[in-house]
Amino acid sequence: MSKKIERVQAGEKVFDWLLLLLSIGVLVEAYRIDGIPGLNSPGSFPVGLALIMLASSLVILFSHRRKRRDPQIRGALHEFQVFWSEHFQPHIVVFTLVSVAYLTAIVWVSFYLSTFLFLSVMFIYYRNGRILSSLLLSGLAIAVIYVLFTLVFRVYLP
Amino acid sequence: MSDTFSYFLMAWLDPQLLLLTALGTLAGIYVGAIPGLSVTMAVSILISFTFAWDINNALALMVGIYVGGVYGGSRTAILLNIPGAPSAVVTALDGYPLAQRGEAGRAIGLSTVMSVIGGLLGTLVLAGTAPYLADMALEFASRDYFLIAVLGLLLVSTLSGKSLARGIFSVALGATIGLIGMDQVTAQPRLTMGSMQLMGGIHYVVVMIGLFGAAEAFYQLHNLNKVPIKQKVDKIIPPLSMVLKFLPLSVRTSLIGVIVGALPGTGGDIASLFAYDHAKRSVKHPSRPFGEGAYEGLVAPETANNAAVGGAYVPMLTLGMPGDAVTAVIIGALVIHGLNPGPMLMVETPHIFWFTVGNLALANLFLLFFGLTGIKVFTKVVEVPKAILIPLILVLCVVGTYSINSSMMEVYWMLGFGILGYWLKVFGFQMGPIILGVILGPLLDETYRQAMSSEGESLGGFLLALVSNPLSIVLTSVIVLVLLSQTPAKSWLLARTRRS
Repeated sequence: MSKKIERVQAGEKVFDWLLLLLSIGVLVEAYRIDGIPGLNSPGSFPVGLALIMLASSLVILFSHRRKRRDPQIRGALHEFQVFWSEHFQPHIVVFTLVSVAYLTAIVWVSFYLSTFLFLSVMFIYYRNGRILSSLLLSGLAIAVIYVLFTLVFRVYLP
Repeated sequence: MSDTFSYFLMAWLDPQLLLLTALGTLAGIYVGAIPGLSVTMAVSILISFTFAWDINNALALMVGIYVGGVYGGSRTAILLNIPGAPSAVVTALDGYPLAQRGEAGRAIGLSTVMSVIGGLLGTLVLAGTAPYLADMALEFASRDYFLIAVLGLLLVSTLSGKSLARGIFSVALGATIGLIGMDQVTAQPRLTMGSMQLMGGIHYVVVMIGLFGAAEAFYQLHNLNKVPIKQKVDKIIPPLSMVLKFLPLSVRTSLIGVIVGALPGTGGDIASLFAYDHAKRSVKHPSRPFGEGAYEGLVAPETANNAAVGGAYVPMLTLGMPGDAVTAVIIGALVIHGLNPGPMLMVETPHIFWFTVGNLALANLFLLFFGLTGIKVFTKVVEVPKAILIPLILVLCVVGTYSINSSMMEVYWMLGFGILGYWLKVFGFQMGPIILGVILGPLLDETYRQAMSSEGESLGGFLLALVSNPLSIVLTSVIVLVLLSQTPAKSWLLARTRRS
């Protein structure tokens, strides 16, 4: 009986190594609380959690021994290309960059204006340049946000 | 008794609460149904808007969204083969084949009625068991709370995601995030990396909005241009004979739903899986083979996932431990409003418990009404293109996060957690265990240290205490069994048993 071989995704190994590094970082930070902790000290639980993270990330890395890379991936460089094309597609990169720009702009430009610009840019981009309807949609969204959050929920907006 | 009844009827008689429950249920159906939106996301974002509300109003809306959302996921599972929520994944197995056979309306109608039956039974069990459990919980020692929290986190690590190691890592990561800030006892900074801004910790709602809202928005970008296949819908209301035929199965799977839902950390998704498995094993002559449009395959998960809602409230209201990710968020809402979820809730604020029970029952009745009507509008709304939905989700996440403490720093944290959550999701990590870790981490820390103190900081004494009273023995044994079931020891033991 043949056992089904698990496939490792492009970039998964690197990610799992990063998790190991994160666990080590957490352990160092937990150790800094009160050195080698006593059983009931503030650092005891964080150190315990860091050790659990470390152990589980090692198990995750060890599990790669049972997994195989997609046979269509020919080498490390090709794997990087596959990873890049899967997760750094233009519409994902644009969304991420515009989101960061949006969050930065809120402080400088005001919430409503930056939100209008963010929505307009994203709608126009994702809807293949339908400018007028995208601007109208953005305006409508801003109106709904104003009524719902400022008038109904009465929350503070940035 | 009369007080209990008046608390129960509070939401039924107050027009504002009635309206909020109805609105919540209706909104929940759409939130649960629209792929890319989730109940946890909606409740996480909503919690920040309801800080200033009266607690009853906030709870009425959240209960409505929760009940509606768990059901809503089934509609798109049936119509589009895209489960709107994790608890509806199993529903799609037989629901979509039914739609392909031209029985989409009947499938939606039956799933609505069965969801309501499951939801009402779950509420009944909550009302019947929680007061007794809360009384018992008053006698629990710190170590018992510690063990229950460990069991909950272990179960969620075991049952969600593609491997135990990933589940445990997620839980530990969540608990670590939950511990960032000043120690509650000594005021010593922990895991703050020397940052003053982290001294106050990271608000768990920020983590929730990041992981469930922003991360989902990023993740859904992969399906930006996916166009679902539309189905024709007619004859929604199922005949009474059909409902009666499936009633025994729905009662059985409701019980499964309540029990699984009541286990800390599990929820409707796991309950529906167990119920489907039960239906496959117990129904000898299904209406059609399972997976090809068997009504039994629709009834079982739909009753179980709605019954799990009532179940999930049991540990939340009696022990202060979330039954699933949504109740984890609702716990936050209760704490923010100065309430104390746990055994003392029944003593200090019994009206909150009976109000919740009454509200759950009411939301289920609204579900029956909204579930059997407005299907034409529904089919139009769920077709909202992701190109419009995804940027709007991010804006909602920003508004929701900022409204917690009016802090842009928290908005940046939210985005950071969104990006982290995206990568974790890509590589098979679940968000639920992380959130439960964030909520239960500080509780684990507190109960562990209390238990250790009461044993004079002796490890031997602590370990001995774990096997010194019946409840602790049971909990410790279950934890050991769950752990063993995930190791090669299980197959070794099974093989040995077979040989002997």
